[in-house]
Amino acid sequence: MNTDELITTLSQEVRPVRRGAIGRRLLVGLGLGAMVSTGLLALWTGIRPDLLAAMAGFTFWMKWAYTLSLALAALTISVQLARPDSAKLHGLWLAAIPVLLLAGIGVLDLLRTPPGEWLAMWLGHSWKSCPWRVLALAMPIFAGLLWSFRRLAPTRLRAAGAAAGLLAGAFAAAVYCLHCPETSAIFVLTWYSLGILATSLLGALLGPRLLRW
Amino acid sequence: MRADEDVLHSLMVDGLDGDAAAHAALLRLLVPLLRGFYRRRARGSDDDIEDLVQETLIAVHTRRASYDRTRTFTAWLFAIARYKMIDHFRRVSRLRPIEGLEDTLMAEGEEDAVAARLDVDRLLALLPAKQARMIRATRVEGLSMAEAAEAGGIGESDAKVSVHRGLKALMARIVGDAR
Repeated sequence: MNTDELITTLSQEVRPVRRGAIGRRLLVGLGLGAMVSTGLLALWTGIRPDLLAAMAGFTFWMKWAYTLSLALAALTISVQLARPDSAKLHGLWLAAIPVLLLAGIGVLDLLRTPPGEWLAMWLGHSWKSCPWRVLALAMPIFAGLLWSFRRLAPTRLRAAGAAAGLLAGAFAAAVYCLHCPETSAIFVLTWYSLGILATSLLGALLGPRLLRW
Repeated sequence: MRADEDVLHSLMVDGLDGDAAAHAALLRLLVPLLRGFYRRRARGSDDDIEDLVQETLIAVHTRRASYDRTRTFTAWLFAIARYKMIDHFRRVSRLRPIEGLEDTLMAEGEEDAVAARLDVDRLLALLPAKQARMIRATRVEGLSMAEAAEAGGIGESDAKVSVHRGLKALMARIVGDAR
């Protein structure tokens, strides 16, 4: 096909693109993936029966604040990496804020708890399964974000993969809160974060392959 | 129509608003820009260059949602063009060794050069035609004053005065803009 014909063909379908299309598209992919993850969680481990009661307490909101603010930080990084001219990233430090705040709560918890109970508090009942579940729940969300990126133009594929993985992992952790009965800050700080980090690493590994265009 | 940042940007924004004619006009203006960009950096046959140009046009079209209208259009465009070129090399390098990669890498800054050329075009467009032509001939294309005068069909002293007045006007303009 010669270039003139190509241009004529391309110009036949010019759909309007709204302002803020990058963020919007990422949110759509994230939302679709999160719906699948939530369904998966309900079928697989079940939603915790005392969810409504838990939502009246502090720890549930602490966990949601941690995971959702981490997801928000990852979203702002992903938006930047979805542009081809993403030479300089802004706001990377935002991702550190939730981690530091949760670590602060963790330290306060430890000070109030006798050292003999520290290990039980850290490991909870589900430390072995928690990171794996977060990783598994992140997969549909990661797939949704891959769909979002199909109309976007990342040029730093490894970084974009890592950011998408971080976003998928953090949001998957928020979904997992609907099941997880653990209550301690250091549990969340360690095992949730481990699952989120694993998703981000996987994203960095797969990014150059899956995000190519 | 001259392909400067303002023109390209406004066509792109109209295209994003759904104006198919503006979108087509944009893509047409990009063709010579991209051909120049790739010819200078990738040494391949004309077919290879045209393939790259077409791939880039397709990417500009399908991934236009990634353009943020508050940012510079040419920076977005050349980032896509550069990515497409690196991707092209990556594919080709599996088949044959990359020749002249150093030259390609040396050509970094080409993008700035194109942007600068667009700026020069825009500035010269502000001047009377004769002054612009003489400045372009002597300062951009590197002709001597005598050659430029002959090419323009005017006397050498006329050419000298034109260049002098034109540069002075531009200087005043740039200093004025900076304030």
